Amino acid sequence: MKISVSKVVAFIFLIVSVFFFLYPVYWIVITSFKFPKDVYTLTFIPYLQFMPTPNNWIGQFEEAGREIIKCLTNSLIIGLGAGALATLLGIFAGYALARFRYKRWTNRDIIMYFLSLRMLPPIVVALPFYIFIFRLGLLDTQLAIIFAHAAFFLPYSVLVLRDSFRQIPAEVEEAAYVDGCSTWKVLTRVALPLVAPSLAAVFILVFTFSWNEFLFAFILSSERATTFPVFIAGSLHAAGVYYWVLSVRQLLAIGPPIVIGIILQKWIVSGLTLGALRGGR
Amino acid sequence: MAYERSRARYIFLIPAIGYVIVLTIFPLIYSVYLSITNYSFGKPTVEIVGIGNYVNVFQDYRVINGLRVTLWITGVAVPVELVFGLILAVVTGLFPRIQTIFRILLLIPLFSTPVAIALMGPNVFYEEGGPVNGVLMSLGLPKVYWLSDPNIAIWTVTLLDIWQWTPFVFLVSLAGLQGIPVELYEAAKIDGASGYQVFIRITLPQMTPVLLTILFFRLVDCLRIFDLPFVMLGGGPGISTESFTVYIYKLAFRGFNFGYSASLTIFFLLLVLLSSNILIRRLSRYYV
Repeated sequence: MKISVSKVVAFIFLIVSVFFFLYPVYWIVITSFKFPKDVYTLTFIPYLQFMPTPNNWIGQFEEAGREIIKCLTNSLIIGLGAGALATLLGIFAGYALARFRYKRWTNRDIIMYFLSLRMLPPIVVALPFYIFIFRLGLLDTQLAIIFAHAAFFLPYSVLVLRDSFRQIPAEVEEAAYVDGCSTWKVLTRVALPLVAPSLAAVFILVFTFSWNEFLFAFILSSERATTFPVFIAGSLHAAGVYYWVLSVRQLLAIGPPIVIGIILQKWIVSGLTLGALRGGR
Repeated sequence: MAYERSRARYIFLIPAIGYVIVLTIFPLIYSVYLSITNYSFGKPTVEIVGIGNYVNVFQDYRVINGLRVTLWITGVAVPVELVFGLILAVVTGLFPRIQTIFRILLLIPLFSTPVAIALMGPNVFYEEGGPVNGVLMSLGLPKVYWLSDPNIAIWTVTLLDIWQWTPFVFLVSLAGLQGIPVELYEAAKIDGASGYQVFIRITLPQMTPVLLTILFFRLVDCLRIFDLPFVMLGGGPGISTESFTVYIYKLAFRGFNFGYSASLTIFFLLLVLLSSNILIRRLSRYYV
């Protein structure tokens, strides 16, 4: 077997990279299972170097369980709401952009309109949005955050779904038209079932974005509608330097989106680039 | 085609466009109005002050600081992410099985909640015996003041941004690499090109559109950086990691100085539009 020098170098580079990307996560995982006395020691291997304990996890739920459950529930509801709203609006706009041709504002103009929203820094609209929500009396409600998130992630759902609709052969739909179906029927009976997987992917992806979003959730909530990231952002003051508490909370936050990311693997490239590129396999 | 005579063309499109107009374009216009007033929470009267706020923007040292911090983080993190991610994509190509593993492992940073990553600051970079400094010291290297030294804290923020977003470059680059026709590589092999030559002459030019697209997304997201410096250090120590967005946030929601912060947001928006305008045209070519 021939082993070239460059392959060895490449291999070492990859090992170092794995270490770089996983070390922080590995550290917080073991910290969350350490007794406080072990947290400040440089120990890595459970059972050999330190005794693992589930106490931090149990303790967190005993101590702040209600708060944690409330914020996780808020994150869940807001994510589902934003996902549903963005997907629903995205279905129609995405289908329209895939199948109809517009003249005064061409399809490309409309696509640019959605794309350019991706450039808009959230802080630019945060301020007036806050004032509107305040006037409407919707501050600190899940609904306000759902509206904000759906607006920000709408370009994703529109453009990814457009891409999916375009992959359906036009003949399939034309056959249905010939049979006398209305546009509505063609969309709901023919097109939608064919793009069901991407519908699910878009919905879950927006859910994840919403779950991870911080700025709007932070501005628009104060107590009742607090999402989980907003809750853990306050941990530094509340929990001080209790690293084991911090670790448990970090893991609770990153767990769901990471699991979703792994499930959605083949959709991620398309999802993150708004349907411009597609990941392989 | 049957599609053309359908009234659905308008009915389908209006909800999404209208939704965006109401929720982002209206606020934007309102923001332009706010920016020429002295609007402030709790103040009974609102006066039009004209371009006064905009004049102040150029005399505010924290605006200069915010720009410096933002451009510094963007200028370091984005190029590093592009190079690192592309190299990872090319190098893992030598080991197909490892590449499959990397695709899954690198989703961990990419999908992690940014706030949780910001908390890696205190949790992983703490200075007295933390897991990073501990390893450095056991290797005989000096202790690094990751969080308390104003000159280094900005590196810590940058490092965490690189940690989260290199995987994005990696995954999108992989998709781009698969789009390069195999014949090009075969022809190069027949001509006896070295791996380095293949990379410079074939891979890089073929990847340029994809890399520009990645650059667009990274640029746009990095310029708006908020979660990392804000949650980790509140923009500190001092104002050493106070990015533009963090400064505007503090002005608006702690100082309640809405008029002035609105003019800052408009200034910021123009900056972002100017820097990514060319790139979005490149991106829009994918939507034919």
